[in-house]
Amino acid sequence: MFKQLIPFLLLTLSMAAQDMPLTQVLLPNEGWEKVAEGYGHTDAAAVDAEGNFYFADVAKGTEIFKVSHNGEISTYAKGLEKISGMQFGPDGKLYCCQAGKVRQVISVDKTGSVKVLAKDVQPNDLVVTANGWIYVTETKTASIIIISPEGKFTRHKTKMVRPNGITLSVGQSFLNVSDHGSDKVWSYSINKDGSLSNEQSYMYLRTKAPMQVSKGDGMATDAYNRYYVTSEIGIQMYDPTGRMGGVILNPLGKPVNSIEFAGPELAYMYICGKDVIYRRKTKSKGIIPFNKPVAVLKFKK
Amino acid sequence: MSTLLSISKAILTIFIFSSGISPLYSQGYDFGEDSKKKDSVPVGTVTKYTFNTSKIYPGTTRDYWVYVPKQYTPDKPACLMVFNDGVAYVRAKGGARATIVFDNLIHKKEMPVTIGVFINPGTVIGNKGSNDNRRNRSVEYDSMGDAYSKFLIDEIIPEATKKLNITKDKAGRAICGISSGGIAAWTAAWERPDYFSKVLSHIGSFTNIRGGHVYPALIRKTEPKAIRVFLQDGVNDLNNLHGNWPLANRQMASALEWAGYDSKFVMGTGKHSMNHGGAILPASLRWLWRGYPGVKEYVKEEIK
Repeated sequence: MFKQLIPFLLLTLSMAAQDMPLTQVLLPNEGWEKVAEGYGHTDAAAVDAEGNFYFADVAKGTEIFKVSHNGEISTYAKGLEKISGMQFGPDGKLYCCQAGKVRQVISVDKTGSVKVLAKDVQPNDLVVTANGWIYVTETKTASIIIISPEGKFTRHKTKMVRPNGITLSVGQSFLNVSDHGSDKVWSYSINKDGSLSNEQSYMYLRTKAPMQVSKGDGMATDAYNRYYVTSEIGIQMYDPTGRMGGVILNPLGKPVNSIEFAGPELAYMYICGKDVIYRRKTKSKGIIPFNKPVAVLKFKK
Repeated sequence: MSTLLSISKAILTIFIFSSGISPLYSQGYDFGEDSKKKDSVPVGTVTKYTFNTSKIYPGTTRDYWVYVPKQYTPDKPACLMVFNDGVAYVRAKGGARATIVFDNLIHKKEMPVTIGVFINPGTVIGNKGSNDNRRNRSVEYDSMGDAYSKFLIDEIIPEATKKLNITKDKAGRAICGISSGGIAAWTAAWERPDYFSKVLSHIGSFTNIRGGHVYPALIRKTEPKAIRVFLQDGVNDLNNLHGNWPLANRQMASALEWAGYDSKFVMGTGKHSMNHGGAILPASLRWLWRGYPGVKEYVKEEIK
């Protein structure tokens, strides 16, 4: 009797981690709240080990700002231009993409001391794994730059048009990258030697109209292995199998560039858009991307 | 029914209901004689393999099973039927019992001598202990386009049937699937009607998981393709973020009928399970294979 059900149960259980409507993420009475305003072009959402939120002003600023759990904004680092993407590493350093004319990948330690990891590159966004590998989207060359913990530089060519946002899976087995210039998010296996393989278009991004591009930009992962992609039509949410769960409306009326879970319990979705930072409390929680991989959380109704 | 069996069934029913899974054996559809093993009927062989060399879905690994009927002889080309979510169909004690049904129907000449290839969706294995595998089922099954048909026709079918004599006649090639595997069966035939001419869909996901809800509209405004289609669904099937399964299947059935396809639609009372489709599998296969050379003349039967 039980044996008879095994295949069906397998099929059904394998379905358990998919088909996730927005109601699994959004709280009915929690809207967006403004966290910060008055900047040129906010970007580079990041989170530290305590869940504090970080951003930069890629247009005109030279500072990196820290937002504490209760919303206090302070300056974390100074004198850094054109930061378009950043994340902390397992060593506590902040790893940053410097776009525009600066064109380098750097690390900044707690004293503000800067180390250049790659020069003459065109970085957009990055992630750092628990093992200290750095993966950087280089939009113009349609590549992912790989920097090993020892500093070895590799450029991995992709099938994407304009790779942009980048995020890890919860177990850090896979890298997911949004294609600003198409309607897809691509997924890559992260191999033991840090290299990438198994390139697969894994999620279809909705576009504003047929034959248009998604303008898929910043990405984040939550603890359930759901993926979030900022795009022209809003923040698109995907279940772990790559099925779209829904579109969270963009509250800003201007493009959202970057997204990260941070704040108390990592339950707040923070977004960067033009001159402002907004956040919204969710039912979900984020991950600390540079921490040791953890098991994927299972959703309970 | 023995006491032990009824107790275990009761426990199971509680477990299933409490976990929100549609019960398999309590939706009112029972197996008929053609789904039961018979001593007088020759039994085909089922062999399990693993496939992990796909270039279309790089890094994926999957199990598949090949069923070869006892009546098969290498000198005569056999028909081919592919099953998506192979494990759900191949198990002799599963919800469909496809190999037993094949044994019985082939024996009675109610379907041709047919090789069954039962294919699971792929998985890319991630780091151990994190439950972080990349499951490729949705990519393979829910996506429109020709990737899955290419995977079948260019990659796995040649490997699975390399030692077998398979017909070159598209009339002898069918594909079946359940849920997302159902729409995947349709997509494979829609993309390659030169290869697959018969489709059997159980509780097919003709909803907006990855855009496949548009098929009824495409069917109505495309010169009909030579595909014979059997669709099964139940009025209590899913209604969720992707769409409403019974409505979507009605739309498909109506479009196929309107466009003049050789199609049949059976709407039962079941939920999102194999129960109904499994119970009517023998009758569905008789309808699907009717008129094939060597098959007994089709006797119209009520399928519900």
